[in-house]
Amino acid sequence: MSDPKILFRPSEEEILEQEVKRHILITPWDGLLKMLDPVYNWGRRNSLWPLQFGLACCAIEMICTAASRFDIARFGAELFRASPRQADLMIVSGTVTKKMVPMIVRLYNQMPEPKYLISMGACASAGGPFKEGYNVVSGIDKFLPVDVYIPGCPPTPQALLHALITLQEKIDQQSIKTARWYGKPESEEMPVPLLGPDLVDLRRSEEIRKKCAVGEPAAKPAQLPAMIPAPVGSGTLVEASELLKTVRRLQLQPDSALDYLTNLTCTDYQDCYEVVYHFYSTKKGGAPTALKVRTPKTNPRVPSLTALFPGADLQEREVWDLFGVRFDGHPNLKRVLMWEGFEGHPMRKDYLEPYYEAPAKLFPSRWKEGHHQRAEERARFGDNVNYPPGFDPAQWVGPKESFKPSTDTLVVNLGPQHPSTHGVFRMQVRVDGERIMALEPVMGYMHRNHEKIAERNTWLMIFPYTDRLDYICSMGNNFGYAIAVEKLIGVKPPERAEYIRVIMAELTRIVNHFWATGFLLNDLGAFFTPALYAIEERELILDLFEMASGSRMMCNYMRFGGVAADLPEEFLPLCSSLVNDRLPKAIEQIDHYLTHNEILVNRCRNVGVLPRDAAIAYSAAGPVLRGSGVEYDVRKAEPYSIYGRFDFKVPTFPEGDVYARYRVRIAEMWESLKILKQALKELPGGEILAGKKLWNIRVPAGESYGRVENPKGELGYYIVSDGTDHPYRYHVRAPSFINLTALEQMCKGHLIADVVAILGSIDIVLGETDR
Amino acid sequence: MRIYGLEMLRGLTITLGHFVTSYTAGIRRTFRNRKRGAFRQHPSEKGVFTVQYPEERLKAPERFRVLPVLIFDGKEGEKWKTETERCTACGICAKVCPPQCIWIVQGKDPTTGKPVAKASEFFIDVDVCMNCGFCAEYCPFDAIKMDHTIELGGGERDKSHLFDINRLHVSTEYHAKIHPTDWAQEQARKKADADKKAAAAAAVKKAPEVPPA
Repeated sequence: MSDPKILFRPSEEEILEQEVKRHILITPWDGLLKMLDPVYNWGRRNSLWPLQFGLACCAIEMICTAASRFDIARFGAELFRASPRQADLMIVSGTVTKKMVPMIVRLYNQMPEPKYLISMGACASAGGPFKEGYNVVSGIDKFLPVDVYIPGCPPTPQALLHALITLQEKIDQQSIKTARWYGKPESEEMPVPLLGPDLVDLRRSEEIRKKCAVGEPAAKPAQLPAMIPAPVGSGTLVEASELLKTVRRLQLQPDSALDYLTNLTCTDYQDCYEVVYHFYSTKKGGAPTALKVRTPKTNPRVPSLTALFPGADLQEREVWDLFGVRFDGHPNLKRVLMWEGFEGHPMRKDYLEPYYEAPAKLFPSRWKEGHHQRAEERARFGDNVNYPPGFDPAQWVGPKESFKPSTDTLVVNLGPQHPSTHGVFRMQVRVDGERIMALEPVMGYMHRNHEKIAERNTWLMIFPYTDRLDYICSMGNNFGYAIAVEKLIGVKPPERAEYIRVIMAELTRIVNHFWATGFLLNDLGAFFTPALYAIEERELILDLFEMASGSRMMCNYMRFGGVAADLPEEFLPLCSSLVNDRLPKAIEQIDHYLTHNEILVNRCRNVGVLPRDAAIAYSAAGPVLRGSGVEYDVRKAEPYSIYGRFDFKVPTFPEGDVYARYRVRIAEMWESLKILKQALKELPGGEILAGKKLWNIRVPAGESYGRVENPKGELGYYIVSDGTDHPYRYHVRAPSFINLTALEQMCKGHLIADVVAILGSIDIVLGETDR
Repeated sequence: MRIYGLEMLRGLTITLGHFVTSYTAGIRRTFRNRKRGAFRQHPSEKGVFTVQYPEERLKAPERFRVLPVLIFDGKEGEKWKTETERCTACGICAKVCPPQCIWIVQGKDPTTGKPVAKASEFFIDVDVCMNCGFCAEYCPFDAIKMDHTIELGGGERDKSHLFDINRLHVSTEYHAKIHPTDWAQEQARKKADADKKAAAAAAVKKAPEVPPA
């Protein structure tokens, strides 16, 4: 019988193929690529160049990661590129606001493939603590693909390094074969969202149009915010028609001229809008004088003070933006924090955000039957957006920005993503050649609704939010808020607590001025070396904060009537070692290194001059005011806490230029050291908190304005209580915001490169500017 | 005659000084730290300032706070049980939570259906939490504390960033390890309370003996 196998005799080709396979090593194309992958991945993982792009508090930790203590260079990622064209890693560090997200998507689109994205911090991942705000995007992943998420608020530099390692491990898993940037078709650009009456994700326009066409209103919330009638008998009430005359008279009073407008804000009452002005005298000092103007709910109008006090400019625009109160005679009344075209005036009590749940916290859904539900699931559009009925994204025509092309002048935008704007700040500059003809600050890219959220919070809950105002100086922010509320409660902290507060506040001042000086030099072109040395000292002070309060940046350390916890045992020896030995040397070194440096002097002298009278008129505060020769410091003018006991001077320099402001900061560090030495010597023992630790504190009805001299200037809190457990009105007088009013005045006639230095010398923090 | 560049040289000597000390003082320290693991520089230390993460790391101070965890009485590696869990579902943590990231469902007795002082569900939305530490500070039962773990980065958030009651629970042994002072204080306080109770109980016990005599 024949062998059955023979029936299936393979053809010659098949035999040949088998023979070849048996005797010759052939690596298929796939295998070859696989061998190449490790080399290829190794190259990419060790040369991740991050985009020099920071949004909020997390950006500060990102900068620290690049500084000497954590040194991201060890991972090959030290080259922070200012241009997206050269970067392949975007670290979305901080709160993504609706106003900012179109820029972020544009930047991402401009990055070449392969590109990666780290979402740093709770805010970037999902909105974080600011999620409920009306201008906050619930996570960058709604618009861009994210590779690594880092929880934490803010994540420490080590957490960021860990995320970088996680990303490197992810890159190790990639293969050339499946990499999307080699595939066809070419990777598409992400659609840039539109700023309509609210943020519009263009991928969802059809759905939005349909839902808006139905016109069905959103499910009505169970409880609306309660309104109270305007209280009688607090502050001087002035008729709107009499306002200008009264203010002029007060401004020209012979002996105690109220020449400085410190704060301007508004409260929404049941029967009226009340605009509040706080004035004081730079010569006499003392507590501020409050003037109030009431205007009806329909068509609210108040005369503008800009003619008498140019410092009212941005503050009046803020009130118009958030409350819809018109200021007659204001030269440029348009929105300042939100964008033109946004629907509604969000600080009005009847404005409800898409994620609105209840008028005050605790939200009833959280406890007893707290089955978890994301805010998105409740919202009408499944996201933090709301549109007016009948809205159609395709038909939307926004208010046009006036653009007149001209051959002799040119309009340049610096920011909102620009390495020298200290955050997401934008300057619209009209230049003639390189000379500045006009400048307009544009802000709101980090407006995260601090005040609106705070009005729902209980009094205690506001503390950690104040940390996130000026996130370099969280201790100082805590201090100011505690003082404002303590005025209403009438509680006095024990001695030890007062000393601890002063120690923390002065350490904060040193931290801030180190940072400001380092980054001023950065702006002048001394790229990162002075900043590195400054950050090194800052790190050591942050160690102290972390030890006492538990967090490097977001200290949340003070409570009403004291501080949260006593100093740990090892705090004092470390602190006195720093204050007595290390910091004097460090300040001396910076001083020696920089103050008489010819480049610094040439770049700073006679640049950005703000004369004395203008500084007062523009409501400048802090080092900007003192750099113009005005000896005004809240610690001396209206001593709070125990500042009256310490021996220190208020350094002033009369020139009013960038150099003077720099010198004020250096001199203030020396004065802070003086205070610290005295405070550490006299620090008594005893209690650290007056009374019991209460979480559900109620504040008697009334209003107060508490202020402290924060490193950036006067930080004021204007609060109105209706006797419940949350504030009726809560407003922050932010020095960074108000100091920017004078920016145009300082910049006119200078060169573009000087603008950067001038902005650096004002020392702004966007968390506070935009709140 | 003016000599240009002197200021630049002066600046360079400062950087050079840092560079040299990083070799003279820094190298010794770096080798010492290899053995030390977690550490923190003293302000008087000179030289290399860098923490060589991940080989070295900064020592977390006891009060360091990242995310909250729930505590149960037990050893590391054990699983929490209703008997050992400390939380009583009183809701104070949810009431002080500023961004409202805590969600609690109060437990019910399976037979009677009446509410009991135990949490049957407990969620913390990590993407909302602001690490403020209020929950730990105001918890009257020492049931919620702040953890030190920072290495939490990952590629996904929808599922993994919502911590449920199982993910949140850690043992008292772990808690005592990272919070030694806090733990010692808690033990001392409990002992004092127990002593007081025992003394009161003894007094009550003694009291009835008095009338017959």
